Amino acid sequence: MWNNFKNGFIKENPVFGLYLGMCSSLAISTSLNNAIGMGACVTLVLIASNVIVSAIRKITPDEIRIPVYIVVIASLVTVVEMVVHAFMPELYTSLGVFLGLIVVNCIILGRAEAFASKNGIVASAVDGLGMGLGYTFALLLISITREFLSTAGLHFYNPFNSEQLLFGFTIEALEPYTISLFSASVGAFLTFACFAAIFAILRNRSSKKEAK
Amino acid sequence: MKKALQLVLFLGIISLISGVAVGSVNSITEPIIQDNLLASEITNLEAMYPGAEFTALEVTDDSGYIQGAYEVVGQGYVIKVQTTGYNTSTPIIALVGFDSEGTITGLMAIQQQETDGFGTRVFEDEQVQSMYVGKGLSDTVDLLSGATVTSTAVQSAISAAQVVVSSLIGLIG
Repeated sequence: MWNNFKNGFIKENPVFGLYLGMCSSLAISTSLNNAIGMGACVTLVLIASNVIVSAIRKITPDEIRIPVYIVVIASLVTVVEMVVHAFMPELYTSLGVFLGLIVVNCIILGRAEAFASKNGIVASAVDGLGMGLGYTFALLLISITREFLSTAGLHFYNPFNSEQLLFGFTIEALEPYTISLFSASVGAFLTFACFAAIFAILRNRSSKKEAK
Repeated sequence: MKKALQLVLFLGIISLISGVAVGSVNSITEPIIQDNLLASEITNLEAMYPGAEFTALEVTDDSGYIQGAYEVVGQGYVIKVQTTGYNTSTPIIALVGFDSEGTITGLMAIQQQETDGFGTRVFEDEQVQSMYVGKGLSDTVDLLSGATVTSTAVQSAISAAQVVVSSLIGLIG
């Protein structure tokens, strides 16, 4: 079970390893705030959908399993979206359409089909947590790089109260050298490509070791 | 046939449960979302009339420009208008302030992405002062050359707002 959890980070990292859920991770990784908010939402939906799918896996008729998963996932995402809209309006505005698009995030449907429909509830929940944190980890890597390169600092605001700065710094000496390109979508692709390459090297190394 | 019925029933039950769950969450979050919207609206209104008290008014509108109306207790009215200028993908949303006689006291854009240096001049303080502030209910506000499309859009919206204010004050209807 620990391996299921660990897999989500490097070897089967949903973003850099399986190349799933790239659309949202490229679009919203402009700031640390967005990354943490989006990561938390996806992780929550992923755990809940994995648990529900796993709980009903024995009574779900095989012919209509995909529509059933979609209904379950869509309801969960709608609930999360409404809660975020009500309690974290700032995050809701900055995530925009991508919050609702968690529905079609392939990580969630992928894990429901590939893992939760064949495994027990607890294992599915752990898998959901691992994959969700793997996604969050990938978002954090991209967004920290992008925010730092484009603003020379990092800022994280309390999601329930956007005025309150929980953590943040700016390196003033670097401010004249910020690269605003990295806040645009080009920057997302560049950052993503570099990290994907690093992860590929790490994966290849570990599989070579296993081969020996 | 029996199999098909079973499938339909299963999906139906799942959808029903999901629907009930989503509906009950919505009934909890909906009022909070409405309150938040109102709170952010009041922040905008206070930029126009600092420290005043506001009450939302129900108005009837056929023009399609009016988004909302607020009474500034003892001071006048603020009408929220939406209109489309040169940038057809982002509508202009603005607040128009009136005193209790219906004279325009200000215009503040909440959202606009008109052409920089042309359309945006309509919302600059200097232009707002000379073009809009002080106009009575029967006046038509001026257009701005070089920003004809934007200022025409604003003109139509203000006319609609003037009609609303007239009916609020009780001059017509």
